[in-house]
Amino acid sequence: MNNKFDALKDDDSGEDQASPKDSEKEKPEEDDKDQNIVKKKMVVPGPGEHPLQYNYTFWYSRRTPGRPASTQSYEQNIKQIGSFASVEQFWRFYSHMIRPGDLTGHSDFHLFKEGIKPMWEDDANKMGGKWIIRLRKGLASRCWENLILAMLGEQFMVGEEICGAVVSVRFQEDIISIWNKTASDQSTTARIRDTLRRVLNLPPNTIMEYKTHTDSIKYSMGRLPWTGEC
Amino acid sequence: MQDQSREIKERLKEPDPKEEEPLSTVLQEDERLSAEVLPTSEEGEGPKMNEEVVLHDMDGDQNKRDQSSSLVDHQNVQQEVVALLKCLNMDGSTQKTNCSEQNKSQTEVFDVSLEENLQVPNTERKNPSEPASAVTECWDDFTFSAGDLAVDREKNSNSQSRLKSGQQLVQQTGWHFPVGPGLTQEMFCPQWTSVDFTVMSYNILAQDLLEENQQLYAHCPPEVLQWNYRCSLLLSEIEKWAPDILCLQEVQENHYHEHLYPVLSQMGYTCVYQRRTGTKTDGCAACYRSAVFTEAGVSKLEFFRPETGLLDRHNVGIVLLLRPLVTRGAEVKEAGPPLCVANTHLLFNPRRGDIKLAQLAIMLAEINAMIKSCKVRGEHCNVVFCGDFNSIPYTPLYQLLTTGELYYQGIPKWMVSGQEDLSYKPSYHRLFAPLWPSSLGISDTCQYTEINTSKTNRQKSGHHEFMLQLRFCPAACVRPQKLILISGVTDITPGCAHMFKDYLMHQVDLESVYEHVLPGSGSPELTTLHSEGGATVDYIFYSPKRTSTKNQMGLKLLGYLSLLSEDLLWSMNGLPNHIFPSDHLSLVARFQMELDN
Repeated sequence: MNNKFDALKDDDSGEDQASPKDSEKEKPEEDDKDQNIVKKKMVVPGPGEHPLQYNYTFWYSRRTPGRPASTQSYEQNIKQIGSFASVEQFWRFYSHMIRPGDLTGHSDFHLFKEGIKPMWEDDANKMGGKWIIRLRKGLASRCWENLILAMLGEQFMVGEEICGAVVSVRFQEDIISIWNKTASDQSTTARIRDTLRRVLNLPPNTIMEYKTHTDSIKYSMGRLPWTGEC
Repeated sequence: MQDQSREIKERLKEPDPKEEEPLSTVLQEDERLSAEVLPTSEEGEGPKMNEEVVLHDMDGDQNKRDQSSSLVDHQNVQQEVVALLKCLNMDGSTQKTNCSEQNKSQTEVFDVSLEENLQVPNTERKNPSEPASAVTECWDDFTFSAGDLAVDREKNSNSQSRLKSGQQLVQQTGWHFPVGPGLTQEMFCPQWTSVDFTVMSYNILAQDLLEENQQLYAHCPPEVLQWNYRCSLLLSEIEKWAPDILCLQEVQENHYHEHLYPVLSQMGYTCVYQRRTGTKTDGCAACYRSAVFTEAGVSKLEFFRPETGLLDRHNVGIVLLLRPLVTRGAEVKEAGPPLCVANTHLLFNPRRGDIKLAQLAIMLAEINAMIKSCKVRGEHCNVVFCGDFNSIPYTPLYQLLTTGELYYQGIPKWMVSGQEDLSYKPSYHRLFAPLWPSSLGISDTCQYTEINTSKTNRQKSGHHEFMLQLRFCPAACVRPQKLILISGVTDITPGCAHMFKDYLMHQVDLESVYEHVLPGSGSPELTTLHSEGGATVDYIFYSPKRTSTKNQMGLKLLGYLSLLSEDLLWSMNGLPNHIFPSDHLSLVARFQMELDN
């Protein structure tokens, strides 16, 4: 029993099974209060793992129930879950996280390229926008998984344009969105839309809406400072 | 009667390859049937238990031999029903004769080229008045007394009739008995030319292993254990059957270089040798006749992958990509389609089915890669996969090979190969997903996962699929050290043990040449025998011609060399003996491959 994997196994399999080395290479994170400061130290793939083209970071946000939204800041409510650089590391996080369809309350998962904060104000996002798809309840888990696999697998084919993706769990519906850098680049946004339709296997009547972040900021003035998803 | 025949045809769809009956018995039965009086055919006697058997038997034919259906269709319904009733009349398992065969034999075209090698006595077949024993192939190279066999252990034992006929016949073959469905088939392929070739798979018993395990050969007279003696028997056996492709296992390195390679190359073979890693001195050899094939690719595979933790055993395999050579006028040209020839000797250890499966997956991944490389050039690649798989028929490993899939979750490891029944042990290890770590680079579909860091390749749309394959890799089941714990959000237990994809698949269409029971007697075929027992562990698998696929795809099995029963082999004092130089028998099959126009 010299590593964690061994400890998790049935004792039955000890003699025979592979004991993959702990490929955890992440730098220890600082205290919670510093969570939103994106680490300078990048994660790297473990030995023998399959690297992704970009590193990504998972985030989670939730509006605390029972308190007026206006008193809660985005920064207070969002938590960085962890970063990964390989397919294997992605699944490590993903398989320890609840499926979005099983989330309760007013909450979101964000998956953004490492170094880009899931905020309109981030340099990578401020000229950007997002495609929004509203889903009836029950579809979010599958759509989210397909969306992020397509993103990690570079299926959008729009160079460096993709910033990240968000799934937002709301009262009567769920919303998924994918963010890109340049809202004004119509060939990029069209290509993203077409890829979304293909990879999410959406019904033909699904409504897809593109929204620039500047519009989102404008409309959200005086409302929640961070519920940018619609 | 009409109804009955319709019923037959309907059931023909239902495959049951186990029931297939090779030619030899069929021939015997033909003779017997013709000689016998069939009094009940007019009585409209209702079908009984035997009918099932008969029908399934025909099913088998249907599946294996793609012409069968047309033959059946051409037949006079009346004739067919009479034949059926004849069959119903017979008793015992050997009598479940193929009615269709009987009629077929009237119209058949024989592959004359085979007759020399495989010695099917055509003349006898055409004379129905001869007694059955005369048709049975000969077995006269060794002496024996029928008393040695004591009593027939099974009713209708085939071996006894064979032995008898061996005594009576002057005809000499010396080797085990040739049978083969393909011998009786018509060939209608005017628009395609084809090539026939013979494949031999043979575990020749490395001398070092023989000497390390002397207790297994205590029954043998010392002279049959001498390498020189064994080597000359082996070479003359190879010469006798003149395979175009020769896959050997347990080839000791020094013997290969000093004794085998020089003779084989003189016989016209090009050889590829791969020694086992580690301290064992033997390995695998794959040879092909240079006048018949040319090499388009070679992969030597070592299964020792210490970085995976699991694959710590020193077994090897060879995968060749060959192209047939054809002579057009004075010119010898390469032709298509290519042929992938694979040869391996999987781990022996009966308790480690997990390692056997992983080793097999490496072979299948390499074969699959060869097939793919042909596919991108628009070519269909046929496959012959030989070797000592150290697994008996109809076990999980065999099932994976022949059906292309295996649900393995919870299967005891010993059960994978079935060499020994270890179920009596109070505790044994079971298989749990994933069988091997993703770092092996092989998916649970037995294909290479593309390991590349190049950015252009990452943009392939197949990437999604690839990522899913790693979903339950061991690394994904370990909680990331720094994952913050948010109740109801990041406190999910992956439950990898039950969420794993718990099956293996592969895409190579494979069928065994041998049927694992002897025609007639139904007793098990043996490919290996020593003092601790005998079994089928060697195989020739091939990609068969399917009626559903395009005409020129797949190999047609023309015939194969019979294996022998345990009783019979013990009557020869077991293995090795004065005829067979190894503790395994050779497997020999002849195929026909359609050539591209």
